[in-house]
Amino acid sequence: MRRGALIHSLVPLLSSLLAIFGAFLVGGVFLTIMGKDAKAAYMLLATRALGSSFGITETVIKMAPLLLVSAGLLIALRASVWNIGIDGQFLIGAGAVGVVAPRLAGVMPLFPMLIICGLTAFVFGALWGVIPAILRVRYGLNEIITTIMMNFVAIYVTSWLVKGLFRDTSVVAPQMPSIPKDWRLPHIPLTRIHVGVVVGIVIVLFLHFMFRRGTFGFSLNVMGLSRKAAVHAGISVDRLAILALLLSAGMAGLAGANDVLGVKGLFQGEWNPAYGFTGFALVFLARLNGLAIIPFAYFFAFLLFGGEMMARTAGIPVFFVEMLEGLMLVFFAVSVYFERAVLRKVVQE
Amino acid sequence: MDADRMLVFTSVLLGSGLVASVPLLLAALGETFAERAGLLNLGIEGMMLIGSFVGFLAALNTESIYFGLASGLLIGMLLGFMFGLTTITLHVDQIIVGLGTTVFASGITGFLFRELYGRRFPSLSVSIPKVAVPLLSEIPVIGPAFFKQQVIVYSTWVLVLIMAFVLDHTSFGLRIRAVGESPLAADAAGVNVARVRYCAILIGGGLAGLGGAFLAVGDLSFFVPGMTVGQGFIAIAIAMLGKWRPRRVFVGALLFGILRSVSNGLQILHINIRPELTLMLPYLGIILALVVLAGRTTLPAALGIPYQRGER
Repeated sequence: MRRGALIHSLVPLLSSLLAIFGAFLVGGVFLTIMGKDAKAAYMLLATRALGSSFGITETVIKMAPLLLVSAGLLIALRASVWNIGIDGQFLIGAGAVGVVAPRLAGVMPLFPMLIICGLTAFVFGALWGVIPAILRVRYGLNEIITTIMMNFVAIYVTSWLVKGLFRDTSVVAPQMPSIPKDWRLPHIPLTRIHVGVVVGIVIVLFLHFMFRRGTFGFSLNVMGLSRKAAVHAGISVDRLAILALLLSAGMAGLAGANDVLGVKGLFQGEWNPAYGFTGFALVFLARLNGLAIIPFAYFFAFLLFGGEMMARTAGIPVFFVEMLEGLMLVFFAVSVYFERAVLRKVVQE
Repeated sequence: MDADRMLVFTSVLLGSGLVASVPLLLAALGETFAERAGLLNLGIEGMMLIGSFVGFLAALNTESIYFGLASGLLIGMLLGFMFGLTTITLHVDQIIVGLGTTVFASGITGFLFRELYGRRFPSLSVSIPKVAVPLLSEIPVIGPAFFKQQVIVYSTWVLVLIMAFVLDHTSFGLRIRAVGESPLAADAAGVNVARVRYCAILIGGGLAGLGGAFLAVGDLSFFVPGMTVGQGFIAIAIAMLGKWRPRRVFVGALLFGILRSVSNGLQILHINIRPELTLMLPYLGIILALVVLAGRTTLPAALGIPYQRGER
């Protein structure tokens, strides 16, 4: 029996690792075909991003938006709500902070200013999820397509606003006014890492325990596993689906605030980091487990940073990381198939 | 604003709308077949993008538009086959594989394009000649818009009729619908569920690839990374709005093709409106259309659910 329990917790981790390995393998073969030195590229990835304090710092900084986005996706996917609108919600949240933060800077103390900015981003991100949420519960329309459409609307809306109404006219490039240095997210003492990472980790941990113990988390789980069961248990599935989508959208908005307040210092036109699909790969590989999200967020942040490194020094286009992520998603789906076969065998024994 | 210019505007809007609708139509027709058979292909966006890239590359190097289109079709079918391999044979999650395919496609096309051309953006020197239909092309406004087009535009109209016929009046069409509504019953009746689904996804992937190739080769004559900008997802929505009936899908594709060309049309009128506002029209339009027409769509019952013999 103990052996069974061990296998049940180890096998899922194994299939995630297998998916990552498969993606790197195919990616490596592809690089070799393209006439690149795959081994050197991967070595570079490992040494620069893992072996240097600069690399580790940069990676940890990149973790913050991924943690926040993943926290949102965790809520949504646990409840079987397919929020693919992360990128749009992120941009809207970031844009809202880009507008609000420069105007609040200097008017009030830092701490309340940051709280207001965070709330603004959360609310605006969540607002971007309202239409898909209503369409899902009122008309039974799957949220996949509507959230994707909202992504494109967000790109054009923010681009319109940053070039028009909220443009900083004192510079040539289309951008919003920049936030004074002292009014951005403070750093963790003795590091260059801003506190966004801490916020991300706290939220992810909170969610983890919420899904473990809280009734809200439990109802989301039930709904995700079986809508029918949730209805029979007296859970108001519509309200819960709206809530899951809005919370998840709000978290994406918060991630936008993180990047504007912690990294960029302003909202620029044409800026769209598109963390959505990275978040998807991350949360699936972490098997919708809050605790596992933290190391996987490190891994994906490492991949994003390493991708930039490889582009700069090994001449490998940054698109390579996107390729790997796509492969990971496909391989993950496939390895889950084999995992089920393995687990079935264990049960039969 | 004078009446003449208004007529030119309408004619150009309809004409370029018609051309812009072709990729949407092809992809949505393919998705119609796939979804009718129970497969939700979210990789369609990626299949279009790869179709664009491969089609463009082939057309650029052979200086043949038709070779480009054929390459798009073939690569789309290959991708459809891969999608089938994972979702039909291995019964894995269609949404994850579909999204993974789309992400992968965006990565690999961007990578290869950057490797091959760096920051240059070559464009095709060849284009498909336009053929005027006698008499019909003489009709004012509509004539030049609809009846003075590339041959492939006309052939998509024929394709719509063929696909509608296949779906409604052939045993293959019946099998596709049966497999999408109740694979269990179809299996019991002796239909090879997997084979029918493979056929449907080959059609779906092939048409997505062809649509993508037309976008790059027939419509725009260039390729840029990420150029499909969500058209695959729009195609899914069009298939849904058209209730998986080819003729309605055609109407939907035309409508959204026209919405896509509004920004081009406005230039003729010299109306100065920010491009962002017109570019977002198709996406807003899809949401609006879903709101208006929603509630009246019924999904194929087995959509998205892998079929495994002996399970439930």
